[in-house]
Amino acid sequence: MNVTKPSPEAAVVAEKLTKRYGSLTAIENLSFSVAPGEIVGFLGPNGAGKSTTMRILAGTMSGTSGRAAIWGVSVALDPAGAKRNMAYMPENNPLPEDMRVEEYLTLRAKLKDVASERVSERVDRVMADCDLARRAAGRLIGQLSKGFRQRVGIADALLAEPKVVILDEPTIGLDPHQILGIRDLIRSLRGKMAVLISSHILHEVEQVCDKVVIINRGRLVAQGRTDDLRRELLPDCSFTVTTRADEAALLGACHRSEPAATVTPLAATTAGWNTFRVSLPADSPARETLAAELAIAGISLREIAEVRYGLEDIFLAATRRSPTEPRRF
Amino acid sequence: MRHFRTLLAHELRTALLSGNTWAAAGLFLALMGGIHFFALLEGSRIASERTPVEATLWFFWLPLLCVLPLLTMRSFAEERRSGTLSALLTTPASTAAVVWAKFLAAWAVWITFWLLFTLFPLLVQQRLGTPGDTRLSDPSVLWGGLCFIAVSGLLHVSIGILCSCVTRSSALAALLAFISLLALTAAGGAMESLPIESWAWLGWLHEPAAHLRTFAHLQDFAGGILDSRPIVLYSTGTLLCLGLAVLAVEGQE
Repeated sequence: MNVTKPSPEAAVVAEKLTKRYGSLTAIENLSFSVAPGEIVGFLGPNGAGKSTTMRILAGTMSGTSGRAAIWGVSVALDPAGAKRNMAYMPENNPLPEDMRVEEYLTLRAKLKDVASERVSERVDRVMADCDLARRAAGRLIGQLSKGFRQRVGIADALLAEPKVVILDEPTIGLDPHQILGIRDLIRSLRGKMAVLISSHILHEVEQVCDKVVIINRGRLVAQGRTDDLRRELLPDCSFTVTTRADEAALLGACHRSEPAATVTPLAATTAGWNTFRVSLPADSPARETLAAELAIAGISLREIAEVRYGLEDIFLAATRRSPTEPRRF
Repeated sequence: MRHFRTLLAHELRTALLSGNTWAAAGLFLALMGGIHFFALLEGSRIASERTPVEATLWFFWLPLLCVLPLLTMRSFAEERRSGTLSALLTTPASTAAVVWAKFLAAWAVWITFWLLFTLFPLLVQQRLGTPGDTRLSDPSVLWGGLCFIAVSGLLHVSIGILCSCVTRSSALAALLAFISLLALTAAGGAMESLPIESWAWLGWLHEPAAHLRTFAHLQDFAGGILDSRPIVLYSTGTLLCLGLAVLAVEGQE
């Protein structure tokens, strides 16, 4: 590692970050943190201000107000110090087309203050870790596929063993095999480096990240662990029910155990079977007895399953919420 | 300093492998070779106070306007367009180190072009000259003129670099550099040819205009006169342009 400074409480700190372009506010009073060794997903709709925030944290753009710190070092006051602790892979991962992979990584290692005697060792290591050593080391970057280019970007990010890695859409444009590879690679960083990763592929983020930060229109709308957010943002409990009964009969049966239950038809009838979503209040005791109650009421069931809300539902619920009322967990 | 050395080596390597540099070198040598050929032809027909080398160097403005913008136009504009400049600035290397490395690499290439040009008069001297008569290569004029090119080149290259910093388009950067260099080269002569001394409200311009006489500077250097004023002018102008280039890069990023 480059820095001997003791581990701070938070590897990344954004405190009331604001960026304005004239009358347009890209981000406003954005505050969040990433703990050392933690992998955090940074989510938001297009134009929410994700890339702007990442660029401010990476020191390639200055904020209008607020504080950004990497490993305890202020990005504004000591940009070089902050950059020594951090690696940033920008969106679209710009790379020089006319350099060979090994040559490019060697140059980047020297610029990132890797000790001269360790440059070769580190380049070999990250090429091996990113599966570049055998098939891409000597090739021109301009001739590489999108997947390999992303790997070069990530290898570059890992070169100097930074404390913090910021990845802006690292899986964009990749096929499922390549996404899997990048996911495993990022997962392998858990506990070693703090990773802030933005992605539109919510399933990926859910698989990889310990925590998510969701912003909308430049403001924080939610942050925390997925389970906490699920409980907070989607408190109701839903079941998918496939039955021969019609909507009225099912609703009647549900109301026997929970008067506040609602029933929504989901799929068209197939061979006499109908599929519905039954929603119950979060604290309803009926969530544990619904199947039994329906059987007692003579509702013929083929399937009943609790709906588990994914990050996509959490994201939609969070971004639908007014951005003027940021929530914390 | 380590970043600067690394970046300078990278820029020199990039320049060496770039087709753009080789095209610029070809254009430069064709231009200067042609001018030198006609200067020799003219010298063989009409008796002149100027040696062929001096007459050739007098046309330094032609490659300055046509070739130098080709060398500097891509330095920042292309990197900004492709986004690699942003990536470069995520490393601990400072913006100043990046600007100075690109500047010195372009300046080194520019000087290399002129050193290649010296082969023309030296070859002519070897093939056609008579022992003891150095008029065909005129070493004092040649090396004095090259000193002028080297010193003034600092400012000229820095102007090209600054122009490349303010746009994402290499073509626009080349055009801006062409206009700026044309204005700088012609300004001194143009102002001197005007009777500004007799215009009371413009009289104060006479002194500054006298410092901008580019061709007089060439004449002084080629004549072996080492005047500190043009050296100060070119070096301070260079620092100003590079300082503005650093601000331009930081401002845009």
